Amino acid sequence: MKRLKRLLIRLRNLGSRQSVDQRRFLEEMAEHLSLQTEENLRSGMTPAEARRQAVLKFGPVEAIREQYHAEKSLPLLESVVQDVRYSIRILGKSRGFTSIAAISLALAIGANTTIFSAMKRLLLDRLDVPHAEQLRLLHWHGDRNTAVTNMWGMSDNTPEGIGAASFSYPAFEQLRRDNHVLEDLFAFKDVGRMNATIGGDAQILQGELVSGNYFDQLQVQPQIGRPILAADDQIGAPAVALISAELWQRAFGSSSAVVGRTIKVNMVPVTVIGVTPPRFTGAKSLQSAPDLFLPLSSQPLVEPRGRNGSLLGASSPQVWWLNIMGRTRAGISDATAQAALDVSLSAVVGSSLRPDANTTIPRLDLLDGSRGLFLSKQLFAKPLELLMAVVALVLLLACSNIASLLFARSMARQREVGVRLALGAGRARVLRGVLTESMMLSALGGVLGVALAFAGCRTLPALLANPWERSQFKMPLDWTVLAFTASVTVLSGLLFGIVPAWIATRSDGGACLKGSTQNIARRRKGFGGKMIVSFQVMLSTLLVAGALLFVGTRFNLAHVNPGFRTNHLVIFAIQQPESRYPPPKDLQLHHQIEERLRVLPGVENVTLSEVGYISDSMENTPFLPEGQIQDPEKDQSAWNNAVSPSFFHTMGIPIMAGRDFNENDTASAPKVGILSESLARKAFPGQNPIGKHFLAHFHPSEGAPGDLIEVVGICGDTRYWSLKQNPVGMFYQPYLQVQNLDFGATYEVRTSMSPGSIAPSLRAAVQAIDPDLPLQDIRTQQEQIDASMQQERIIAALTASFGVLALLLACVGVYGVMAYSVAQRTSEIGIRIALGALPKEVLAMVLREATWIGMGGIIFGLGATLLTTRMVKSLLYGLQPNDPAVLAASATLLALIGLAATWVPARRAAAVQPMEALRHE
Amino acid sequence: MKPRADIQQGTLALMVLKTLDVLGPLHGYGIARRIEQISGDQLALNQGTLYPLLLRLEQEGAIASEWGPSENNRRARFYRLTRAGRKQLQAELQGWQQTADIVARFLAIKAETRP
Repeated sequence: MKRLKRLLIRLRNLGSRQSVDQRRFLEEMAEHLSLQTEENLRSGMTPAEARRQAVLKFGPVEAIREQYHAEKSLPLLESVVQDVRYSIRILGKSRGFTSIAAISLALAIGANTTIFSAMKRLLLDRLDVPHAEQLRLLHWHGDRNTAVTNMWGMSDNTPEGIGAASFSYPAFEQLRRDNHVLEDLFAFKDVGRMNATIGGDAQILQGELVSGNYFDQLQVQPQIGRPILAADDQIGAPAVALISAELWQRAFGSSSAVVGRTIKVNMVPVTVIGVTPPRFTGAKSLQSAPDLFLPLSSQPLVEPRGRNGSLLGASSPQVWWLNIMGRTRAGISDATAQAALDVSLSAVVGSSLRPDANTTIPRLDLLDGSRGLFLSKQLFAKPLELLMAVVALVLLLACSNIASLLFARSMARQREVGVRLALGAGRARVLRGVLTESMMLSALGGVLGVALAFAGCRTLPALLANPWERSQFKMPLDWTVLAFTASVTVLSGLLFGIVPAWIATRSDGGACLKGSTQNIARRRKGFGGKMIVSFQVMLSTLLVAGALLFVGTRFNLAHVNPGFRTNHLVIFAIQQPESRYPPPKDLQLHHQIEERLRVLPGVENVTLSEVGYISDSMENTPFLPEGQIQDPEKDQSAWNNAVSPSFFHTMGIPIMAGRDFNENDTASAPKVGILSESLARKAFPGQNPIGKHFLAHFHPSEGAPGDLIEVVGICGDTRYWSLKQNPVGMFYQPYLQVQNLDFGATYEVRTSMSPGSIAPSLRAAVQAIDPDLPLQDIRTQQEQIDASMQQERIIAALTASFGVLALLLACVGVYGVMAYSVAQRTSEIGIRIALGALPKEVLAMVLREATWIGMGGIIFGLGATLLTTRMVKSLLYGLQPNDPAVLAASATLLALIGLAATWVPARRAAAVQPMEALRHE
Repeated sequence: MKPRADIQQGTLALMVLKTLDVLGPLHGYGIARRIEQISGDQLALNQGTLYPLLLRLEQEGAIASEWGPSENNRRARFYRLTRAGRKQLQAELQGWQQTADIVARFLAIKAETRP
């Protein structure tokens, strides 16, 4: 206690200035001496002697004063405070250096923090449920002939085969029954958008179907109301839903009266039974959260799919759609659990899909489920790793830039350091002083960097979101991120501070004071600084080359011709509820809407397609040209789309041969199709395809014989789901001749009006047909294309700005080291000029020196580029990682920047007046 | 001239506390003089070293101080023992007494133990 109390007092005294807190001591000493002197006088001494004896008796004043001060405060800490004060003064003196260093460091640290924050949120963070690390996700993989053919949801297609985390309902039931290796298995399905009506307000919500044990197994309790229970997940049970905290706040103002309210979901009345906790995002992912949780048993009602609307029970073993998870069971390894579940899966595939000799049974994989389905990994892992590497390089560059500047300064300060060493300062003390300076610099950069990152973490999610969608993705700056920033800051301070500090204090005090500029010593001293600048030029070359690659990719993508006219095209989707529009009523509905839109003022043309373009949607179906036989070993499929007769005209896709679709191609007319040029070439090589037939949509294992379709025309090739994907072989059918449009349709409206001004009349026209049908995602085709290139745009913008920063830093670095070098050689240059060297020759000499530094850096930089950019090949479009133009351009840029930075010091060297230079000596 | 004894570490604090206990509030010079007098001028004391010690004792809470008029009517800082200081003095006196007793017993051993 006593010690603690004393420490606190001393800490309090730490800030006070020495002169102030010594006043009391001085006053007491004066009084003491005068009392002693008086006493000495009384004992008969002369006044002078009395005073002398008093002082002698008091003891060594300075030593006592220091001791007094040491008692009062904390000397070690105080010397640190002294260092900090001193370095702030030094940094404040050279504002130019400080601001260049702090700003470049702040940019680098801010970028690192932002990208790390994104990486953490997208790739590292686990689901917000208790013990997320215990969760396991069931997944399967099979070869090309796997028994599972009909899937709803994401699947991974590789040349070897197919895999997915989707299971049929019978598979879920049996796996759950057989399971004794994991805790109870639970299932869920993100069904995406649902049309909901809350208190008369029609809106689009995200829904998730969950099994009755979902909340129990996730160990999540609603904040109000009750969870979905096993009793709710029974066919015939009343329809209930849990709503998200976000929807609760948005639509119900967080009123507790929400429990028991009825809302309409896809036109089915559903009772709200509770609200999930604020940060719960469901089991699927952390980045997006469903608004509604409904029991699986309500699927046939609210989200009817499959042959009779139901995917439940034994009636629908073909469709694989459910995601299954379970928690690990103590003492059972993942390998054991996977083997046991694999046996169950083989059994259920054998009994429910009845595989024949040609089909194979998929194998089960047990994956980490702590991040849900972890789709963000496929989407973002590669770009984020790239950006993380880029920002790390930028930080390294900023550090080496500051190191080279500090290096030049430490040379200049050798005299000061020499004086301090000569006066008896310990080397460690001086080293600490110089390091404190770089630490202050990095702390300044770190604080500014966090401020930048704060802005970055707000901007990046906005860049990642589509303008027409509500995004729930947030990137909070949490303690982990700040800890990361703090350690990056300290590490950078050490990185750029330690070498210059070491060099500064290496100086031998005597030699420095003599003020000699020995040539040999100078050459060795300059070497380190030039190495650092070469390294900087190398990093800059790499960053600039990388930036050019991504800017080139962006440029190439912007100039891809998709094969159709993208301007003046407003698009939106309509998803009709299957309960109200079972096939073929859905086709009639869309026909009716199309006809109604066609006559609206401002609409030049309107068409609809089953699949919208450049939106990552696609359809692929079995395809067999006449004259060929079915062969399961071969890929006999083609990409397809169902469209209205006005499609080719509206989209501006040319008909190259044969005829366009027309009004006579109705449901009852003979089935007709149009092939894209590349499919026509592939399916009917060397023949005229018009009039030929092909078989499509056949699924022998499901007893679907398929349709025989006559080729009536050939159209131009287009890009389908992505601009990056070269045109694929496609066939088109009139939508009236397909079985259904169960995923709705995308409408393409050619108009010169903006989406905002035409939307009201479009909406009114659709609601005149059915007031419960919302228009989804009204946007222009160009906006859709821009959104599909978002990642490329962000990468190009970020790498380009880092590239510019790299160029600036390289410029500053080269200038700093050359200016220093010229200043050091002033007398040498003076002698040369006095001996008859021409200014031109001096100029050339300096430029030559800079060229050596720059060339080395550029050559190594190009080498580093060749080695590293191979890793980002998959992110490039239209150019190779070793694109010669890019390499040449970045080398030239760096060379020009280097020359420009050297020009000023070189001119200064050429203008040296020999007399002045020599007098200086 | 007899060499004067150096003061052992820690004993000076004890002397200061005891002085204040016996004489009540005193300024630094008074304490120094008193210690010299009691020791019969046998202590080699740099009077000045008293002040860092007084500061420490004050920070530890054993003594308190305030400004007051000195004998010649100038400002001097007077130190007095606090309640905590009195306790500390008791504890240290006891410890000192014990040590002194033990040392005394050793010194009292006579030659009879020798064969």
